[in-house]
Amino acid sequence: MDLQRIGIKIFADSSAPVPVREFIPIFHSWIQKQAVEEHLLIDVHNYSHIHNGPGILLVAGEGNFSIDMADGQMGLLYYRKTPSAGLVSILKTALQACNLLECEPNLAGRLRFRTDEMLIVANDRLHAPNNVETFEELKPALSAALKLVLPEGKFAMTRSSVNPKDRLAIRVQTGQSENVAALLSRLNPTDARSRIS
Amino acid sequence: MPTWEEKLADQIDPQLADEISVFETEIQLRKQGKLDEKVFAETRLRRGAYGQRYDNGHRNDGIRTQELKYSTDLTKGPETLWDAPGMQRIKIPFGGLNPNQMDTLADLAEEYADSVLHVTTRQDFQFHFVHIDDTPALMRRLGAVGITTREACGNSIRNVTACPLAGVCRTEVFDVIPYARASAKFMLGHPDAQGFGRKFKIAFSGCEGEACGLVNMHDMGGIAVTRVENGKLKRGFALYVGGGLGAVPHDAKLFDPFLPEEELLPITQAIARVFARLGEKKNRAQARIKFLVAKLKIDEFRRLVLEERKILPHDPRWTSYLANLDRDTEKPLKAPSHLNGHPRPEGFDAWYATNVYRQKQEGYAVATITLPLGDLSSWQMRELAQIARRFSGDNVRTTVEQNMLLRWVSETDLPELYRDLQRIGLNEPGAGTIVDITACPGTDTSKLGISSSRGLAAELSSRLAAKSFTLDESVKNLRIKISGCFNSCGQHHISDLGFYGVSRNIGNRKVPHFQVVLGGQWQNNAGAYGLALISVPSKRIPEVVDRITERYVRERQHAESFQSFIKRIGKRELARMLEDLTQVPSFEADPSFYSDWGDPRVYTIGDMGTGECAGEVISVSQFEMAAAERLVFEGQMSLDEGDYVKADGHAYDAMLQAALSLVKVEFMDVPNEPGTIVNEFRIRFYDTNLLGDRYAGSKFAQYLFRRHDSPPTDHTLDHAHRVVEEAQLFIEAAHAGHDILAERRSKLP
Repeated sequence: MDLQRIGIKIFADSSAPVPVREFIPIFHSWIQKQAVEEHLLIDVHNYSHIHNGPGILLVAGEGNFSIDMADGQMGLLYYRKTPSAGLVSILKTALQACNLLECEPNLAGRLRFRTDEMLIVANDRLHAPNNVETFEELKPALSAALKLVLPEGKFAMTRSSVNPKDRLAIRVQTGQSENVAALLSRLNPTDARSRIS
Repeated sequence: MPTWEEKLADQIDPQLADEISVFETEIQLRKQGKLDEKVFAETRLRRGAYGQRYDNGHRNDGIRTQELKYSTDLTKGPETLWDAPGMQRIKIPFGGLNPNQMDTLADLAEEYADSVLHVTTRQDFQFHFVHIDDTPALMRRLGAVGITTREACGNSIRNVTACPLAGVCRTEVFDVIPYARASAKFMLGHPDAQGFGRKFKIAFSGCEGEACGLVNMHDMGGIAVTRVENGKLKRGFALYVGGGLGAVPHDAKLFDPFLPEEELLPITQAIARVFARLGEKKNRAQARIKFLVAKLKIDEFRRLVLEERKILPHDPRWTSYLANLDRDTEKPLKAPSHLNGHPRPEGFDAWYATNVYRQKQEGYAVATITLPLGDLSSWQMRELAQIARRFSGDNVRTTVEQNMLLRWVSETDLPELYRDLQRIGLNEPGAGTIVDITACPGTDTSKLGISSSRGLAAELSSRLAAKSFTLDESVKNLRIKISGCFNSCGQHHISDLGFYGVSRNIGNRKVPHFQVVLGGQWQNNAGAYGLALISVPSKRIPEVVDRITERYVRERQHAESFQSFIKRIGKRELARMLEDLTQVPSFEADPSFYSDWGDPRVYTIGDMGTGECAGEVISVSQFEMAAAERLVFEGQMSLDEGDYVKADGHAYDAMLQAALSLVKVEFMDVPNEPGTIVNEFRIRFYDTNLLGDRYAGSKFAQYLFRRHDSPPTDHTLDHAHRVVEEAQLFIEAAHAGHDILAERRSKLP
């Protein structure tokens, strides 16, 4: 399956939530620096007025980043819009963005992401309808990509909804949370941080 | 890989499916450089695909203006880069929606936009950050649920709006929805509405006294009226023309105090013809019909329209819908009931007081869903569709105040409905009050935005909501409307407190400001426009609101309306009381004045682009010639694919289309029938030798005649190839023919 439109959400640690509007100046500064590799960062949008909505959105030509609030759970959601090098590349971009936020001086270490759980969304109802067949078809590719960052292979994948109207969304649970940099280093062991600066 | 075109083939109206295929081909032609960027721009605008801020490849990031290096230099219009995210406007005639349509809209917002649906001040939806390449699939999926984006933008008839309470309103004369629906359907893509110099907006109201459809600010609007004729009650419309907001608001003029219902569509068509023929085309700032009506005066305008009406070829659609008026009546989902004594959840009473309207039908109510800044997420939309299925059925509306309505709710269901809305965060009270602020996109996404209308609206709404329980009753029901520039998309002229974005130079820096507009009237179909008073820095607008409303509460005489109060106090005094708020501290003293609400960047107007609201003035002939080009292109594609039957057919159609474009210059109502087109072309351009040998000449005309008179019996590569080649030459000749006709017109006295 040649699936291009994929979203990955990495959840924030909810113990000390950062007010969502604090991300507005941070994303603007990313645009000033064009801080995300291989992305043309264009604009920032404040959707914090929408209950459990996209929060703060950073629009790029290749994909959108948002401090997503769906289900009341804050997280970094990256949606790929244009063809990419595949799931690994998308996962890497999402982890890089999380890493950049964790290192953000203005947040002073107040934001940490959990890696014991992720949500992977097939944002394409035509090519990836939400059913068992699609899930089974995607599983091997997802497993292969996830094993790169979770080499022990201890993770479980479940569909987050069986409603055929919903998109196929796969919840990945590992049972333990490592830091984002550790996961990222496995994808890019020589330089986890410098790829986005 | 399957496509939406294949998957939905049997679910879309064939004509709409063809139109979308045509648009898809036009996208391909533009990518290949075979379609002029201006023609493509107007083509996509007429499909609702609009430009967005920063699509010219430049954006100020607060430090410098960055060049945004999109992956291709290809443009989709003048100074509009192909890969730049754009806006897709979706027409919802009279705001009418059903749950299945809501589900689809939610799906599309997720897959092609940013998971947000925005309700506009014309009852449309808008998606932002959509790629032009995704629009055909998006349009097909909408088409499968009966929604079109056609003519949502561009110089065309925009979404037909109507009072969202029509059919259930306690004060309406009759339900205007069947008429709004018929007008929207009849004029959609109508040949007489393709040659406008600017957009054209139509609205309907069921009564004169309420806000309803805001007829006074429309290019054309009808207010329901009745009279007794021969002992029978006869329906009609008080028809108005030439109203409009924009930089210079105009009150609509009464065209006819009683236009019988059967004359509504033919008169609309005649007005469209007169506007297309006589409306300004070169100067966009003077091209709306309000300027034509003002120039001609209403009596002369009316005379011209009635003359046009006399010569219109009869169209059975003018009246066929009148036989089915009863069929269009909404059906409630449940039996009527009364709320008496039912337990009410916490927060319900405040919501009930502002968001519930009791219908004229006993036991039913309309619930308003207050949407902050007109936005809701795709998740909320899908949940709301489920809630509608449970309580309201197909009876959902969007409003020009950027909210949504669930109609025909059985009253005992209201507490349960409230709980469901609370679960999805859509239970905010205050609909139609001072906290329910209307704002256009402004600097968020509009290329013309000067100041942040949404940023200001969010700030004001938040401050006012925080003290809503202590606000005086006289203030609670005032309305605030905000536009990001003088173009009035936020309808600031017709609110009690209106604001539109301007910029001022302070030292060597720019400071975002808003012009304060006071005393406009929302009621009486936008009965009066407000007065522009003074411009105030954006960051001091909340103080403006506080100061004016407090004085109104303090000095209001008896039940004096806000409009009367503003008039009594006078412009001079109002300006005096706000004068100190115009002062801007130095950047060093308070840099916050030098950035806009919700945007930490140092303010600039350097991000403004060329607006597409006016569209590109493309003549009907240019569109028809573009269609001929597309057809011959499709002929070439079919030839490459070895489908000679199709190649021949496309080539023949291309020649007919080019001939039709010439004939229409002289004979606007030529029937779209091949024999007639060829005959008229022969009489007007071939027999008269009007085009001359130098250009079209007899040689190229013969290509059309030969193919028309002798269709192939045996489809071969040689034959198809020759006809495609000839069609291309015929099109070139037709282009030259248009040049000659234009040259002759320019020499006319």
